[in-house]
Amino acid sequence: MGRYIIKKLLISIPVMFGIMLTTFFLLNVIPGDPIALMMKDHISVDVVARVRAQMHLDDPVFIRFFRFLGGALHGDFGISYKLNRPVSYLLATAFPNTLALALSAALVSWIIGIPAGILSAVKRYSLVDNFFMGFSVLGVSMPVFWTGLLFQYIFSLKLHLLPVAGFKGPLYLIMPAIVLGWSSAGTIARLTRSSLLEVMRNDYIRTARAKGLREIAVVVRHALKNSMLPVVTVMALQVSGLLSGAVITESVFGIPGVGRIAVNAIQNRDMPLLQGSVVLTTFLVIIGNLTADIVYSWLDPRIRYGNPEGKK
Amino acid sequence: MMTIAKTRLGVALALVLAAGTAFAANDYVKIAFTSDPGTADSQLTTDWYAIPLNIYDRLVEAQTTKPGVSELVPGLAEKWTPSADGLTYTFNLRKGVKFSNGETFKADDVLFTFDRMLNPATKALNTDFLDMIAGASDRMAGKADSVSGIKVVDDYTIKITLAKPFAPFIANLATPAGSIYNRKATLAAGDQFGIDPKKTVGTGAFTLESWVVNDNIQLKANPSYFRGKPTLGGIDIKISPDANTQRMQFENGELDVLDLDNATSQIPYFLGDAKWKSQIASGPRVGIYYYALNESIKPLDNVNIRKALQMAIDRKTILDKLYNGRGALENGIFPKGLLGNNPKLPVIPYDPKKAKDMIAKAGFPDGFDMEIAQVTDSPSTLKINEAVQAMLAEVGVRVKITQMDSASYFATRKEGKLPAYESSWSADYNDPDNFIYTFFSEKNTVARSYNYGNKDVFAKLESTRTMTDQAKRMSIYQALEKTIVQDDAAWIPLFSLEHLFVLQPRVKNFKVSWNGWSDMPYFGITLTK
Repeated sequence: MGRYIIKKLLISIPVMFGIMLTTFFLLNVIPGDPIALMMKDHISVDVVARVRAQMHLDDPVFIRFFRFLGGALHGDFGISYKLNRPVSYLLATAFPNTLALALSAALVSWIIGIPAGILSAVKRYSLVDNFFMGFSVLGVSMPVFWTGLLFQYIFSLKLHLLPVAGFKGPLYLIMPAIVLGWSSAGTIARLTRSSLLEVMRNDYIRTARAKGLREIAVVVRHALKNSMLPVVTVMALQVSGLLSGAVITESVFGIPGVGRIAVNAIQNRDMPLLQGSVVLTTFLVIIGNLTADIVYSWLDPRIRYGNPEGKK
Repeated sequence: MMTIAKTRLGVALALVLAAGTAFAANDYVKIAFTSDPGTADSQLTTDWYAIPLNIYDRLVEAQTTKPGVSELVPGLAEKWTPSADGLTYTFNLRKGVKFSNGETFKADDVLFTFDRMLNPATKALNTDFLDMIAGASDRMAGKADSVSGIKVVDDYTIKITLAKPFAPFIANLATPAGSIYNRKATLAAGDQFGIDPKKTVGTGAFTLESWVVNDNIQLKANPSYFRGKPTLGGIDIKISPDANTQRMQFENGELDVLDLDNATSQIPYFLGDAKWKSQIASGPRVGIYYYALNESIKPLDNVNIRKALQMAIDRKTILDKLYNGRGALENGIFPKGLLGNNPKLPVIPYDPKKAKDMIAKAGFPDGFDMEIAQVTDSPSTLKINEAVQAMLAEVGVRVKITQMDSASYFATRKEGKLPAYESSWSADYNDPDNFIYTFFSEKNTVARSYNYGNKDVFAKLESTRTMTDQAKRMSIYQALEKTIVQDDAAWIPLFSLEHLFVLQPRVKNFKVSWNGWSDMPYFGITLTK
């Protein structure tokens, strides 16, 4: 397993390099001038030309890329054009907020999604099944900005229970976590349901039942663990996706997270900040995939990486 | 046991609730920005002025005297005297003013601040406000170590000499770009000036207290402010990008002041709401909405086509339907409230029939295709553009609306290649130069994608800004305005609008700033308990 992890991490280095290179060149191909954008209506061609030269924005693209790469290898991604602070500082400040949002949203989605999926599978085609599946579909179907506004209206404006927006404590996390978690709970619920139904058709489940085990024991002790394989994969990918930033949720609830930073960086052609965000996101996706692989092998003893025969 | 557990849970919940609500003190006025300004250094930003206006002072201040009207009043300079030739200004500075780090304000701080703006190492974006000073060009080009036109006479007297006379110079210094910094603190702060609250020092009514990027900025009242301690405890600025969220934060009491510029889609709601309509504060904005016409794109190179377009747009309907009639139609360049505004300018009529005839006579009996560009994230611009698209269709002009992201839009415009577009401009300082030179001078017309080409106008614009006879200068500007808009039809003036805010009942003495900025000084505003 250790060798497998090291191998995966080593493979991620060229992946990271390739993504940095692609992003850098794509940003240079699309039109847009960060300095003209900073000046907007107060544009002065002379000032734009002078500041561009001072910031070395007119240097050949390869020179700029290798300059960036040299800094990045030392953990220095440069200074954000718009926010005037070191990129590493901005990402380090924003990431804990995104982490708190992502983990709490993931927790909400699992707390809703997994029991809903189990109940729906066990009580297939019943009222319970229809209710939970309807509830899940609703979460997936409603755009997050709409659910967010709805929650703000009900829980803040009408019931005065929670603040509308901002990020100053656990209280501020409740609404965004539920809104974001609900939106992905549907996927988890449907996947749990279908996977559990498939497992329940296996012979060993019939054997368990024949032995006289109670249905709850059959489901929880025998079926659930095996049915969780695809669910866990989705859960790990979901967390790494959420960690890359839930832009809309962050905007609606005013959370200073990585998603807002990345989107602002694109809008402002803030190349150092965007490069830093891309590196962070790539890293998180790689870690997410790796985690999924590890949990997968832990759940399924037949899978042992680097040990295809499953020998102990 | 159960009771104890329940009690503990209740206490914990109460603590969490308390932690969530008790942050800014109740004497802080709570306002919102749509995005993080990035810096409080007014030399490095051209549009985020709320913080500089409140934490620094300028030599001269533009004070709002009544709605839409301003006057220049002494700031850090007690008085100023121009020389007879209009080239040299002597400023007598206020004594006993302290920076928030305890340093005494002196003439050397003015020299340092203005030199810092023009020093290429600063990478300043606002150099246009000072580049008329003698020696500024050499300093900006790195050919000189200091600006030759700025001389400290003594601790409280400074002389500034211009390369050429520039009539709006004093008004120009009253903009946030003219904010004065402290030499010692600014040098010590280095690149953290304007970023690190502890290292950002000014003489203003407030000091920078805390800054959490993309979340919250707090300013604290400066008890030793030279005009007296502000009645507010401070300003609590929330960064809240979504218009609907800002509205709900306001209604939930999380904001004291909602600038409806940040939430234009919510204006009809607040104007019609029984609870809030009486809480709206508004004032005329010295600014103008307009359509730019790119003369390098056919058939906009034809003056009769441009005149026809002016007549084909029903500006009154747009003002009434999209802006609830809260503004006034404009027929020139200088909007109401601006020095030089000419109320006698001929009215541009709405006459689609005549417009259609003119288009046909210009060689387009079947009309023509035209493109209007805009940024993607501006629904209010899209509404105007769609209205204009429908109006121009009536006269046979087929408009295609192209949406671009902001970075592409401004980069294309800088190249002079942006098609027609709708935009607005509001006063930085109260002088016609701030409008007419910005759009129609030879230096600026390409960068704003007009490609206007009247050489006579270019020459007069250059010579007029150096004139010292104010009355003569205004009369030339008014003649130029008529030439540009009425004869050359270089742009389509639309209207000026009121600037609307909604206030919580506890906000008192709120004065809508005379100029176009959403940003304003909060000194003088009070909160009742």
